[in-house]
Amino acid sequence: MPESALADDTLATAAEAFGDLPIARAERRTALERFRSTASGRERPGRYWKLDADILAPSADRSHVAAGSVEIRNPDPRVVACDLLVAAEQHAARLAAVLGSTGVGTTKFGALATAFARLGALIYVPAGMAVAEPIEVRYVVTPGAAAYPTTLVWLEAGAHATVIERLDGGADAFVAATCELRVDAGAELTFAGVQRLAADATLVATRAAVPQRDATVIWSNADLGAALSSWETTVTLGARGADAQLATIFFPVGTQHVEAISSVDHAAGDATSETLVKSAAAGRGQARYLGNIRIAAHAQGTDASLRDDALLLSKNAHIDSVPALEIAANDVRAFHGATVGAIDDDEIFYMQSRGIERQAAERMIALGFFEPALARFPTEALRDELRSALAEKVG
Amino acid sequence: MSDRGLRIAGLRAGVAGNEILKGIDLTVEPGKIHALMGPNGSGKSTLAFSLTGHPHYHVSAGTATLDGEDLLGLSPDKRARAGLFLSFQYPAAIPGVKVANFLRAARQAERPGDLTPAAFRTMLFEKMDLLGMDTAFAGRYLNDGFSGGEKKRLEMLQLAMLVPKYAILDETDSGLDVDALKDVGDAVASLRASDEGRDTGFLIITHYPRILQHIAPDVVHVMIDGRIATTGGAELAHRIERDGYDAIRAEFGALA
Ligand SMILES: Nc1ncnc2c1ncn2[C@@H]1O[C@H](COP(=O)(O)OP(=O)(O)O)[C@@H](O)[C@H]1O
Ligand SMILES: [Mg+2]
Repeated sequence: MPESALADDTLATAAEAFGDLPIARAERRTALERFRSTASGRERPGRYWKLDADILAPSADRSHVAAGSVEIRNPDPRVVACDLLVAAEQHAARLAAVLGSTGVGTTKFGALATAFARLGALIYVPAGMAVAEPIEVRYVVTPGAAAYPTTLVWLEAGAHATVIERLDGGADAFVAATCELRVDAGAELTFAGVQRLAADATLVATRAAVPQRDATVIWSNADLGAALSSWETTVTLGARGADAQLATIFFPVGTQHVEAISSVDHAAGDATSETLVKSAAAGRGQARYLGNIRIAAHAQGTDASLRDDALLLSKNAHIDSVPALEIAANDVRAFHGATVGAIDDDEIFYMQSRGIERQAAERMIALGFFEPALARFPTEALRDELRSALAEKVG
Repeated sequence: MSDRGLRIAGLRAGVAGNEILKGIDLTVEPGKIHALMGPNGSGKSTLAFSLTGHPHYHVSAGTATLDGEDLLGLSPDKRARAGLFLSFQYPAAIPGVKVANFLRAARQAERPGDLTPAAFRTMLFEKMDLLGMDTAFAGRYLNDGFSGGEKKRLEMLQLAMLVPKYAILDETDSGLDVDALKDVGDAVASLRASDEGRDTGFLIITHYPRILQHIAPDVVHVMIDGRIATTGGAELAHRIERDGYDAIRAEFGALA
């Protein structure tokens, strides 16, 4: 189906219906135009890149305004953590300072989400403030809907906070999610995303973080639900001393399909990044992961690493892992390591030799495999929740 | 019972299509310590893996029974539950699985429900203390980033926690310093001194006789080229220490 078959009028009409908050109709039109004219970057042929703009555009019957709900738990009254509409009315300047600050809106699906922006949350932590308890945001997508959850986080200089974002519900739904994390100088953001959409949902998520000078972003994503989950996470280290620690878990089972891209852009020198990916696949689960590390010519003193391990739990499961290191500077440290394969016979035998049945051994090994990535997620309660979710997937 | 013992008869086995063991006869009686010595590559580990059921090793002839129960038809976990234990020469590292959780799962598999979680912890920390292991060890990932000595201590901790009927120690002494070697000896001695462990039979595989200064063997077997070349008492180990394997090979190799 050619892209023009997207029913431009239907989309435009639907976008208009979203009104002028949190962004003006004129901006919606511009964003929609960008969605139409921008390539997704995944048009290149290949059996794994299933993402296709044509099948993903919201159809007329899906485009209704109340596509889902957001619940926000804010443990600290000094922090702003509110619905996007409330943010538009009460914190317009802060909203404007973070919406569009990371470049997410310039991507194809980021533009689509912008055109339909309404469901979402703004979290703003003032300079120097440390919030001990996690701030929680949970989206529940309406069945059959097209939903565009937008999470915006802004930590001012020196602030410390933890945010947990959950994406739930969405039977037979189309979800284009975005996430923008602005982390000012010396601030430290721990952000955990947990995607557990319904098994027949389609997700396209575009997320980006921009840590400033000496700022840290500790960003973990567990991508567990949806029939097709396609996401791109980008961190731009644009100032010295910035640090990004990315951990990612995905685990397609049954006929689930994951398309994942993580990119770390070292645009300034003396910044550090560590990317850890632990993925597994079972049943006929398929995944393709592209791990980009880009080090600009002037980014001397960079220290970047990418560790990517993929575990195949059935013979029809498939994970393709493609690391892509582009290093233009010469005085840098860059590490890359990857493994893909089934559970080692010697590991299973070792456990069996202690009386543990083969299936139980495989299960323990498979769950243990994720632990180094799980350790990066905040709170023991969340880690336990993820352990149970993974245990269910191991079966 | 006359069929008690770890009884191996006419065992032929190999790996990757090569026959390594060319007919092994050997019986470890309950409570006895047998040493199995032999030069590198003689087939000692092959015997250990064939008895415990490693999937890469294949038995082509012979029998192996544990107190009368046929081992060779059982899966490795069932052999362990029958009471067989192997201290690995090269234990596998399993990241993400904590020592304490693994030991709990193993103990539960071999003796379901015999210890409450609290009693298990008490026993675990007591045994760790005996082996000079820090309590933090219980929270580490199985053999992940362990030193050679730590790996062997963990094997001995498992021996202590599982109290098998028959234990094969495959070069548990290799690469250990004097202190660690003494800890291994103490672990075996303390098991043998306990009520539940007094009947445990040992097959101690070693390349060097020095471990036998800490664990006195009742019987010493020498394996050369996949056969037991000769069997004797502790004096055989001393002879190997003095004259080396070449002397044994010269005397018995032609027969073997
Ligand atoms: N996985 C394997 N594939 C092929 N040959 C092997 C393998 N493992 C051991 N062997 C061979 O089997 C023989 C006996 O090895 P092994 O039982 O490990 O001896 P030992 O433990 O006495 O040193 C050696 O010749 C060794 O090279
Ligand atoms: Mg050996």
